[in-house]
Amino acid sequence: MSGYDRALSVFSPDGHVFQVEYATEAVKRGTCAVGVKGKDVVVLGCEKRSALKLQDTRITPSKIAVMDNHAVLAFAGLNADARILIDKARLEAQSHRLTVEDPVTIEYITKYIAGVQQRYTQSGGVRPFGISTLVVGFDPNDKTPRLYQTEPSGIYSAWKANAIGRSSKTVREFLERNHQDDMDREQTIQLTIKSLLEVVQTGAKNIEVAIMSPGQAIEMLPDDQIEAYVKSIETEKQEEAAKKKTGRGGTTTAAILTRGGGEGSESRE
Amino acid sequence: MEVLLGITGKDFVILAASKAAMRGPTILKAEDDKTKQLNKHSLMAFSGEAGDTVQFAEYIQANIQLYTMRNDTELGPNAVASFVRGEMARSLRSRNPYTVNLLLGGVDPITQKPHLYWIDYLASLAPVPYAAHGYAQYYCLSTLDKHHHPDISLEEGMKLLEMCTDELKRRLPIDYKGVLVKVVTKDGVKEVEFDNNRIVKSA
Amino acid sequence: MDKLVAQYSRPPHQNEFYSEQEQRDLTESLPPISLKFNLPPVDNSRAFLRAMTDDHSNPSCPIKLAHGTTTLAFRFQGGIIVATDSRATAGNWIASQTVKKVIPVSRLSRGEDKKSNEPTPGLLGTMAGGAADCQYWLRYLSQQCTLHEIRHKRRITVAAASKILANLTYAYKGMGLSMGTMLAGMTPQEGPALYYIDSDGTRLPGNLFCVGSGQTFAYGVLDANYRYDLTEEEALELGRRSILAAMHRDAYSGGFINLYHVKEEGWVHHGFDDMNPIFWKTKLEKGEFSNVTSEL
Repeated sequence: MSGYDRALSVFSPDGHVFQVEYATEAVKRGTCAVGVKGKDVVVLGCEKRSALKLQDTRITPSKIAVMDNHAVLAFAGLNADARILIDKARLEAQSHRLTVEDPVTIEYITKYIAGVQQRYTQSGGVRPFGISTLVVGFDPNDKTPRLYQTEPSGIYSAWKANAIGRSSKTVREFLERNHQDDMDREQTIQLTIKSLLEVVQTGAKNIEVAIMSPGQAIEMLPDDQIEAYVKSIETEKQEEAAKKKTGRGGTTTAAILTRGGGEGSESRE
Repeated sequence: MEVLLGITGKDFVILAASKAAMRGPTILKAEDDKTKQLNKHSLMAFSGEAGDTVQFAEYIQANIQLYTMRNDTELGPNAVASFVRGEMARSLRSRNPYTVNLLLGGVDPITQKPHLYWIDYLASLAPVPYAAHGYAQYYCLSTLDKHHHPDISLEEGMKLLEMCTDELKRRLPIDYKGVLVKVVTKDGVKEVEFDNNRIVKSA
Repeated sequence: MDKLVAQYSRPPHQNEFYSEQEQRDLTESLPPISLKFNLPPVDNSRAFLRAMTDDHSNPSCPIKLAHGTTTLAFRFQGGIIVATDSRATAGNWIASQTVKKVIPVSRLSRGEDKKSNEPTPGLLGTMAGGAADCQYWLRYLSQQCTLHEIRHKRRITVAAASKILANLTYAYKGMGLSMGTMLAGMTPQEGPALYYIDSDGTRLPGNLFCVGSGQTFAYGVLDANYRYDLTEEEALELGRRSILAAMHRDAYSGGFINLYHVKEEGWVHHGFDDMNPIFWKTKLEKGEFSNVTSEL
């Protein structure tokens, strides 16, 4: 790479900053995270890395972190980097309350996170954050769901639904096919889990889901409920597949389109 | 002449703070709230130098919230009190120390025991069953010494508070515009009704 | 001496890169919220300032700050009334009779180039205490509010604006600032909001405030006749009459009555009127101010 990837603050002749691009690679290796906006709810879903036999999953940190009562973040990429970034965001959220009384807006805290990430692409002696984040929540006294994404380069963008991390492309395409505006709480949770199941092979025990509603603190979906959602989705898919077999490839596609079509019996737990 | 009072009982802490915000000869506000909730189970009442009070309380509040988020644990009243005292002691040795007196009430979320801490601007910390700051000390502590027991019920606690405020109404030369009363129990902090309009006859 | 040692004891390679602070300065886009000022090279700036400026304790003090004011603001069902006098005094000397003590805050709402009577969106600040301090820091606040408006794509709340000012005055506490300000405004999030901020660092939300040397006189009239459900007419008249009361009794207040009404769509100016005709009208038509004789 002729040395252009050594120092961070140096462009390669064709305008790349290689270190930043390597950071995006690190993101692609991270476990998948999904964010979906509904009518008056926004849901985060994360793929959990499978725990080893002796690991205490109860107290292993989650990929979903609270920044303030009304603002929550999920990330994909380097766990340890995320911890630093999250801590900075939490500090800013409290500091914002101290200086202007109002809590941060979701856009503000996203912009702040992206700002920190940007700074680490332009300073000497540092390395960019190897994470992308999904920032969700509701602005104070507001009922509009918010969902933003930030990237290692410091870009931030707003979404109706999006995925980051491993196989995020597959999940995003799934979301593009199935997302509707004005989904209620149930539908939004269902879509989140369904989209995650596209890439999570091991089912409910490797999924965590967080729900945000206006004016309320974060709600983590209990494991048994996730299990129930996964079960119902699977039976639905099996029925779908069975129907397809008998109906001989009827092109009238119903409810949920899955990747590649009729592979409903995919091994999953 | 700000009034701060605190009373513990069987399973609760009552904190009362005068509602007048004064500056020079004027009462700027008669519905001031001199308390801040720090987390689910602890409440802090403050009095002292204008500006310092709110600034210190908000600083503490933000840091307690930050600690809770970072470590995913609620601090108990004891930990909160130690933290507050530590910050006060640090500020005392700085260029411009905070001139703030505090009462900190809380119920331990685990043992469910009530705690009350008396903290002054010189960073003294004392766990006490009942407490007061300012001139209220001179009038109320004797009353509390006589009538307080550690296992009183909330009703008895409110009765006791009424005895104190009655005496303040009788003897304090300035109208402090009544008190705002909040109670901490295992279920959290809530404001309670308190009749400030009762006229007390002097002896 | 320490500086000298530091200069030579620095490791030789340290100049090769930007320091962490320099890097931050280069890449940090937000300026720090408080500005840095040079203080007079004395031990105790508060005592120094008092010795130089306080004509109460030392009538021959070299600097006489413009002081003395009556300002008031109150909330009612139709919004907020803001009223002030217009006199600036420096010691016994009336420096001006035509001071604008109501200062629109936020660039997009200064309304200077507006001619018509339609409401101008934004906040109003009032000025009591040191005229220079108030003007300077309200302008600074104005700058912060405008920046907030651009960054957040919505107007700043009165709570936030007042907090910025209070944090600022608190940071300069004890260094000689002298100001008592009210911020009034109406935003969709909070409705009509009124805050009192002073140079002690106090910040209070409330329904009714009077600030300045004439505050007691204004309180007297205002408190007695104030109700939340005043009509717009009544409220404007009450504001005017309360200021008049203070202008009449307080030697450091006088000049013109400056009257504003803040409502949902913004603030409206209701005149900058000479107190004298209003005073005589009040006296002769309503029979008030009976201690003043109109006959020779």
